[in-house]
Amino acid sequence: MSIIKDVQSGRKPLKRAYVAIFLWFTGRAIQAAAKVDREVKKEFEKLPENFTFSLGCLPDGPWMVVGREKGVVKYLGGDSRGRPVQVRLAIKSLDAGFLILSFQESTTLATARNRLITDGEIPYALAIIRILDIVEVYLLPKLIASLAVKRYPSWWTPARKFGGRIGVYARTLLGI
Amino acid sequence: MLLPDYYEFCCRVKIVAGHDALEKIPDLLIERGAKKPLVITDKGVAGAGLTDIVSRAIGDRVDAGLIADDVPPDSDLRVVNRLARLYRDNACDAIIAVGGGSVMDTAKGINIVVSENAEDLMAFSGVGALKRPLKPLIAIPTTAGTGSEVTQVAVIKDHEKHLKMAFGSYFLLPDIAILDSRMTLTMPPFITAMTGMDAMSHAVEAYYCLQKNPLSDAHSLAAVGMIYRYLPLAAKNPEDRDSRLAMAVAACLAGIAFSNSMVGLVHNLGHATGSVCGVPHGLCMAILLPYGLEYNLHKRANVMAELLLPIAGEQVYLATPPEQRAQKVVSLIRGLNENLHAITGGRHARCLQEIKDREGKPSVPRDILPQIASAALLDGASIYNPEDTDYEDNRMVLEAAWEGKPLDRTRVKKG
Amino acid sequence: MNSAAVFAFTCPVKTNSGNKALENLPVELAGLNAVNPLVVANARAVGPKAVRTLMSAFGDSGMTLGLFEGVTEATDLGVVDHLKNICLEKKYDAFIALGGGKAADVAKVLNLAVSLKTPDARRLLPEAPVRKRLLPLVVVAAAGADGLETSQLACLSRMVFSSEWLAPALAVLDPRLARAKNGIQMAATGLAALGRAVESHISADQNPFRKAYSFAAIRFVRENLLSAVADPGNRKAALAVLNSAAMSGCAFSNAASGRLHKLGQVFYDLLGIPQGVIMGMGLPLVLGDALREGRYDLAALFQPLAGDDAFAQTPAEKRPEAALAMLNRFLEDLRSVLGKELPKSLREAGVPGYRKEEILDVLGQDEDGPYLRGVVERMADGERERKG
Repeated sequence: MSIIKDVQSGRKPLKRAYVAIFLWFTGRAIQAAAKVDREVKKEFEKLPENFTFSLGCLPDGPWMVVGREKGVVKYLGGDSRGRPVQVRLAIKSLDAGFLILSFQESTTLATARNRLITDGEIPYALAIIRILDIVEVYLLPKLIASLAVKRYPSWWTPARKFGGRIGVYARTLLGI
Repeated sequence: MLLPDYYEFCCRVKIVAGHDALEKIPDLLIERGAKKPLVITDKGVAGAGLTDIVSRAIGDRVDAGLIADDVPPDSDLRVVNRLARLYRDNACDAIIAVGGGSVMDTAKGINIVVSENAEDLMAFSGVGALKRPLKPLIAIPTTAGTGSEVTQVAVIKDHEKHLKMAFGSYFLLPDIAILDSRMTLTMPPFITAMTGMDAMSHAVEAYYCLQKNPLSDAHSLAAVGMIYRYLPLAAKNPEDRDSRLAMAVAACLAGIAFSNSMVGLVHNLGHATGSVCGVPHGLCMAILLPYGLEYNLHKRANVMAELLLPIAGEQVYLATPPEQRAQKVVSLIRGLNENLHAITGGRHARCLQEIKDREGKPSVPRDILPQIASAALLDGASIYNPEDTDYEDNRMVLEAAWEGKPLDRTRVKKG
Repeated sequence: MNSAAVFAFTCPVKTNSGNKALENLPVELAGLNAVNPLVVANARAVGPKAVRTLMSAFGDSGMTLGLFEGVTEATDLGVVDHLKNICLEKKYDAFIALGGGKAADVAKVLNLAVSLKTPDARRLLPEAPVRKRLLPLVVVAAAGADGLETSQLACLSRMVFSSEWLAPALAVLDPRLARAKNGIQMAATGLAALGRAVESHISADQNPFRKAYSFAAIRFVRENLLSAVADPGNRKAALAVLNSAAMSGCAFSNAASGRLHKLGQVFYDLLGIPQGVIMGMGLPLVLGDALREGRYDLAALFQPLAGDDAFAQTPAEKRPEAALAMLNRFLEDLRSVLGKELPKSLREAGVPGYRKEEILDVLGQDEDGPYLRGVVERMADGERERKG
């Protein structure tokens, strides 16, 4: 018997499931926010036609892909399916993905802590981070959102915040 | 000392510093199995006689006779490819880069091409595309400085396709950085001042921005004190070797700091000002540094206060109540700019409206500020800034920096 | 700036420290072009839980790792040779040393043997120069570290291998592995880190790059070791002490071997006493002598030890003494928590006379022999060091 053992790395089914669900939710919420929020709409309009980006975990997923086709922003599922991706935000490990998507680390903090590798043009990546920030303000109560984003937009009108929140949630759950 | 929840720090460059550091090059090359380096530099450096000094110091134990001195002020893909061919055609086995940021970037680009036998440099752009060490690269900075002798990034422009390619990898770090006082002796006061303030902005921003960590902090603290003390001396007495060496060391320390704790607003707005108006990088940094501090003061006052002791010394530190220390750091930096303004006979501008080009025309007209504010939104340095910035915030800071008045901090949106 | 001499500094070690640091290993290894690593561990020293934590950090990576858990204090070049053959057969392309001390030493020498494809590792000699880059080595710090893990030294079979190529490419410091078994284990790590950091910090050859590492190491020990020793469950303090150990190793690699280091090594080699314990014992003596000799920069210690306010308030000429006094108080504070577990003298440590003679014999062969032998004699009964 060898003094060296071979050890197969295991799986982390619960963390993987959590991350997959939240990525799905976030993807659909971005699709929704692109219809509901003025600023998100503007950000997407500045991006090229057929712009696609993905967010997910190394080395083996899960992933979320969002793309823009004919001016419409769509959540494209967990697989880019051969479609070229202009920006890829790769989180270095499933555990880091869990930290971010359970809001223990904001996107800003996660970036500062080198949890994310950004592949692609910086200006586009910045736009996506701004979009993600807005989506988080819609999805999360203020207490959690202010931990998730760098500067909580306290100057948003209640109409925008609550009206938008209803709109984003409804569209996310209904997938429209 | 702050221990962040998570941090990463890496500086694999071997640093060799001293008044006669260049003479160590042959041994360093031979240790790495190299004996025929390609020396690359630009016309300015060659014209100042610096490459001659390097050649003489290297002597004939290695064959460093192949010198390419036509690197343009802006890194260029065509030049990278041409010099890579020169490297291969002459069976070179190492690269020596003598110069500033553009020469360093070009050298790093050449190194990728020759080490990976790359047909298309673009394929290696982005982060993490390189997987193996490259050929030996010795970096000899001739300013103090950009710190690019210790950074893991390179930017190469493809002027034909109007693309800017960015490369990020630890394998891009030079193997060796040589800090020799002879390399900056000929820098005139104006250039000394602005490259020195570039180094100061690196050290300061690394200290208060979001990626700060214990090792980058230790490097920043060492750097700020040295720069504050030696920069005016080096600008006033260009021939003072000790000041030149101190500045070279300090700029390198600052480079290590910001390489591991990314910069923020000052670089964000500074890059934009540079690219829109063609203002030299160091000058943008000098002017914007106090404003970067002011903009972030409400979030980072305690951290900024820690810079007072290394900058100003014990007496000023003790005379300043703790709650005023951050503000004191800001005024000392403004004071440093004033001092440099006087030493350079007014060429070191203190605010954006004072910046003049070679013909004496103002480089930054007021009506171009909106364009700069927009351009800054496309720059990644904002990610690491403690406070968020949008177009309005950028405008506000730029206006204040244009007028040369302190930032009205009551107008900073606090969320 | 001491403008007389050319100085150099190198630190090939990347540091990843903090929450979930281990989970970055698959990506880090991929960045070093490694997909088939071998973990080298002293399972008895670090405990099975640490091994499990490391292995599960690779969860979801799809990787298979080799694991050798059998490092012991007796591991020698013979074992390394046996391992080398297996490594070459299985084509391992990276090494991960779990835990400090012996595991790191074994991993470094094994890396040497495998990378150079040495026919017989038992014939490896420190004098043989290492000229090329070795395979990637990762050191995963755990409690019981001695601060040499990140250095370019490896000690095995009574030989000291030293080469910049031996230093690890990456040091991973994760709070889950930082918890010490007990207070004295934590103290030993902290004092070893402190001792080496202090020696490199006061060295007469000014080197700001090295000083950055030793500054941070000294500060972290000063600010965290007492809490970590008093409460081993304090993860943040424990992680800070591990950080110090890693940083001190980096500084140490760029300075001449100091007196405290040599003392620590010889007592560990011959008697198995943790290096930090001996270094803590010798610190007041060696630094007291340094203060009198006047050729070391003791004043530089004061700022990292005392903090900015105290530093600013203390006149420059009083700082060397103040630094020494501060260190003595620090050691007293540690002893008040640990009592006899942190011995003040060789007698308290239970070192019998004849073993002390062995130590003196070995030290006699060192270039600093006469001085070091004198210190050992003074350590025997615990001379109280008087100021100045």
